[in-house]
Amino acid sequence: MLILQLLVSGIQTGAIYALTAAGFALIFGATRIFHVAHGATFALAGYAFVGLVNGGFGWPLACLGALVLAVAFGLAMDRFVYRPIQRHEGSFFTVFVAAFGVTIMVQSLIEIGFGRSFAAVSTPLTRAHQLLPGLYVAEVFWVAVAAALVLFAAVTLFLERTRLGIGLRALSENPELLRAYGLSARRLSMIAFGLGSALAVPGAVLTAITTGLQPSISAQVMLVSLAASVVGGIGSLRGAALAGLLLGVVENLVVSVLDTQWSSAAGFVVLFAFILFRPSGLFGRAVAR
Amino acid sequence: MIAYLLNLATLATVFGILAASLNLLIGYAGIFSMAHAVFFGLGAYAGAQIAMLLVPDVLLACLAAAAVAGLLSLCLALPALRVRGEYFVVASLGLQMVAITVFSEAHAVTGGHGGLVGIPPATLFGLNIGDPGAFLLVCLAVLALVLLGIRVLMRGSFGRSLMAIRDSESAAKAFGKDVPRIKTLAVGLGCALAGVAGALFAFYMAFVNVESFTLEQSVLVMAMVIIGGTATLAGPLIGVLLLLLLPAGLSFLTFIPPTEIGAVQQFIYGLAMTLLMIFRPAGIAGLSTGRR
Repeated sequence: MLILQLLVSGIQTGAIYALTAAGFALIFGATRIFHVAHGATFALAGYAFVGLVNGGFGWPLACLGALVLAVAFGLAMDRFVYRPIQRHEGSFFTVFVAAFGVTIMVQSLIEIGFGRSFAAVSTPLTRAHQLLPGLYVAEVFWVAVAAALVLFAAVTLFLERTRLGIGLRALSENPELLRAYGLSARRLSMIAFGLGSALAVPGAVLTAITTGLQPSISAQVMLVSLAASVVGGIGSLRGAALAGLLLGVVENLVVSVLDTQWSSAAGFVVLFAFILFRPSGLFGRAVAR
Repeated sequence: MIAYLLNLATLATVFGILAASLNLLIGYAGIFSMAHAVFFGLGAYAGAQIAMLLVPDVLLACLAAAAVAGLLSLCLALPALRVRGEYFVVASLGLQMVAITVFSEAHAVTGGHGGLVGIPPATLFGLNIGDPGAFLLVCLAVLALVLLGIRVLMRGSFGRSLMAIRDSESAAKAFGKDVPRIKTLAVGLGCALAGVAGALFAFYMAFVNVESFTLEQSVLVMAMVIIGGTATLAGPLIGVLLLLLLPAGLSFLTFIPPTEIGAVQQFIYGLAMTLLMIFRPAGIAGLSTGRR
């Protein structure tokens, strides 16, 4: 039963990872920008939610506030950080360091505003019920799984079936040709950032009501998103989501063999193995070295 | 006051060695390692163990630290040979995270979260150099040696091959450069020097624990190199001075509550990194037009 219990919590963690990583992969796939500040988006959304709920606002309004802040932050990163850098140099590392700087800034602002301790919202949703003898599942598990499935299906449909979605996929392939077809690369990259950042919100809210948030969560989420998108194949939405799920499950299952301290390290060992033996990831195309 | 200044100067020198060694990777080899604190830590643990179990000789401890860090740098060289760019950064982040867990769990070698306590004062060839002034001189000498070594190496054939690989790996290969060997050597050298800095750090603090070797430390050292200017000799030193003096300066501003100083510092690091990347990507000591 222990394995099953760990699997359940692994899938719950994995669903959150999958959504966040899918947002990261969406942004990277369309714009080729390694949006390291995605973890900061996650932290901002989570803390906005906690702040609004504690401030006496209802849940729907708090979720909306988190969504607005996340999207606004994503768009601002695109407009004020990535675009100026790409205009003059655009080397990968310059973008990386700038985004990392923003992540540090966001983390310290949260520390000043909310303190270093855990921030969480308690709800009856997280009360566990006995499903089978010895197997406890809280309602939030079903919420997380449902949210991940529905949102993932919606984003996939959007990318496959709508003009805008096809435009987004075209943006990564050939921006020049896109312009010839009369689509604006700038507008599309804004859409990618807005949508990708929005995908971080459900995970942030779910984390706020389950394990709670810490200022350092942005670094943690950033690492997981990066790891998931590498394991899944950089830029592949499906791969990132699956890999996110995989990382969540591995982190939790490892507890049955090793102490809990090793759980996040186990995820990174998986990552390391992928980079060494299959750098193109689960679904990636072969990449140049 | 003198003691305070000596303390600041010694720390700046140790971090100068560390930043110069990272500059070898980031600036000259184009290998963006986010795991430099790991090798700093390996050196510190190795140096501390030598001092506690054998003799507290600085030279011996530094050599042992360099050997340990240099050997284990293969963990970094392996992904560096396989992948580039984003992939490598992610790989090094992964290495950093795994290493932190190992550091805090391998109690026998690292003392876990409690760390290694009671590292004896340093000696050199039997001479006691535990006195702060004497130890600063030793550190300065090591820093000078490291800078001189990097300068000579980078002007020679090894350095030129390395920079050629950084700028275009395929072109360097086409000219018959042994790319894997040169890259592995560069990684090994950079990490070994980080190990030396770690050993000096361990002697100076007389205490090491895992807190000094976290991702934050890696980022701090990276920020020092980048803010100062990559691929320049003076850049990392400028970065070290700026980022070490900043905390010292901030504590004089009385309107910031002492509990928030850490967060304010972090905020300024972040802001400086972002603004520099937008307006001056080559760093303070770099050419104003950027490298390309």
